[in-house]
Amino acid sequence: MDAGLIVYALYLAAIYGLMAIGISLLWSSVGMVNMAHGATFAIAGYAAYFAAIWGQPLARDLLGTTGWDIPALAVFIGLVALLAGALFGIVIYLVAFLPIHDKENFAVRSLIITLALNLATVQMLLWAFGPQQKALPRVFGTGRFTALGMSIRIDQVVTIVATTLLLGSVLAWLRRSRKGLEIRAVMQNAEGAALCGISTRKTALPIMMLTGALAGLAAVLLSQNVFVSPTAGVTPLIKGLTIALLGGLGSVPGAVAGAVLIGFIEAATGAIPFLGQRYVLFVQFTFIVCVLLIRPRGLGGLLDETRE
Amino acid sequence: MSDKLLSITGLSAGYGPLRVLHEIDFSVAAGERLAIVGLNGHGKTTLFRAIMHLVGWQRGSVVFDGIEIGGTRSLGEGRRTPGIVRLGVAMTPQGDAIFPGLTVKQHLDCGAYTKASWRDRALRRDHIYHIFPQLKALEQAYVGKLSGGERRMVSVGRALMADARLYLIDEPSLGLAPKISQRVVDALIDIGLDGKAMVIAEQNVALLSGKVDRMIGMHAGHLRGDVGHVDLA
Repeated sequence: MDAGLIVYALYLAAIYGLMAIGISLLWSSVGMVNMAHGATFAIAGYAAYFAAIWGQPLARDLLGTTGWDIPALAVFIGLVALLAGALFGIVIYLVAFLPIHDKENFAVRSLIITLALNLATVQMLLWAFGPQQKALPRVFGTGRFTALGMSIRIDQVVTIVATTLLLGSVLAWLRRSRKGLEIRAVMQNAEGAALCGISTRKTALPIMMLTGALAGLAAVLLSQNVFVSPTAGVTPLIKGLTIALLGGLGSVPGAVAGAVLIGFIEAATGAIPFLGQRYVLFVQFTFIVCVLLIRPRGLGGLLDETRE
Repeated sequence: MSDKLLSITGLSAGYGPLRVLHEIDFSVAAGERLAIVGLNGHGKTTLFRAIMHLVGWQRGSVVFDGIEIGGTRSLGEGRRTPGIVRLGVAMTPQGDAIFPGLTVKQHLDCGAYTKASWRDRALRRDHIYHIFPQLKALEQAYVGKLSGGERRMVSVGRALMADARLYLIDEPSLGLAPKISQRVVDALIDIGLDGKAMVIAEQNVALLSGKVDRMIGMHAGHLRGDVGHVDLA
């Protein structure tokens, strides 16, 4: 395995991790499996696409001479995608959480509502923008650089660094801030939290916006490699969900470990000559099924206490 | 009515088809410490949970400090609970609804829900450590790893963190060794009630005898007899 492959694996792990941690966090704190995560991904992808169309000439005019136009555009696109993801998080909150969160069978009902929301959003995007795939400009750097005698793609390194920074700050915020304390209190015992004056409704909103923003970032980062399209969110949603399951639904360290494992499996399967890219999904799901057969609670149980 | 901190009239509550409380009337005056005694399964916990809007359905009036917090509802369990807590009702749930993955310190911070109490939470924590000295050494320990008595102390301490005016303490002795439950109860009795009130639900009458202002019996969802000051000794 050369360094390029390891970086590729970590790059995949970063994007899958963003999706899986979003799904896992939402399950453990709010108690819903968010099937609309793929829609958030697609919406943020389109937001980034339009931000790029609008921002590219602007950046060239303002900063073209300094050479900072591409990094500035990258930051701008990233922020727009984060914002779009967070806004769609609010939509999910209003449609799939607020009306039913204290009714019976919230977990199943919210699953159905978010699934419907996902389908409706994909259809709406198809209707509005058509099925054509759209390409984002390559704003996270192109080309390769050589380190330790091996060539590494710059955009992959940027993705890994950006994801690590963002996830690190999110986890630090969860550990340190008062809101983070409230969110963890709700995660562990919703009724106890209510008796501490912590309202589930008020903690669910920031966590929905946060997970939406994570999906938005994942959309921008992955769109450097694949195209923006109405159905672009399906594969990331499925992979995010299965990785969250592999990690033990609700466990953040488990989701990170699962994402790294799946990223390496994908990179390795693609590199093995007789398997190749075609067998990636097959190998991944076989692996996940095997792990879940041995450990039905997922990897998370090894790492920390999960919900229930 | 004005000196009544809490007055309940015609409160019925239950879960689904099960009716646990039958038209309960009672009131608590400011500065009063009273006990509700009765056997398991006769509605003491349900009474507290109905005040906090945590039962399946309820009807009847609950007036806390001039504000109606009762009413009729059959859904929305827990929806109004944080609001009621913020009005100044602190409840320690039965069996310590507690956050196993938080440290004692974080757990106590969770109780400081008002802006003012969050600002001087360190001071308030010190006050709790003064009441329960053994918690000081366990400050960084995870609550899930503590013994039952220590957990009860954390639970009671959490309720004392903010400026509540009504404390609802559910079964302080449940599942504890006699010596430890005595200590928890003594700490509860020592808490000054300056214009506040405390209601303790308890099975073990002997534990509270001679220590509370008033005792009310509870049987099969009805309050039976307001026996006043009881001293079994």
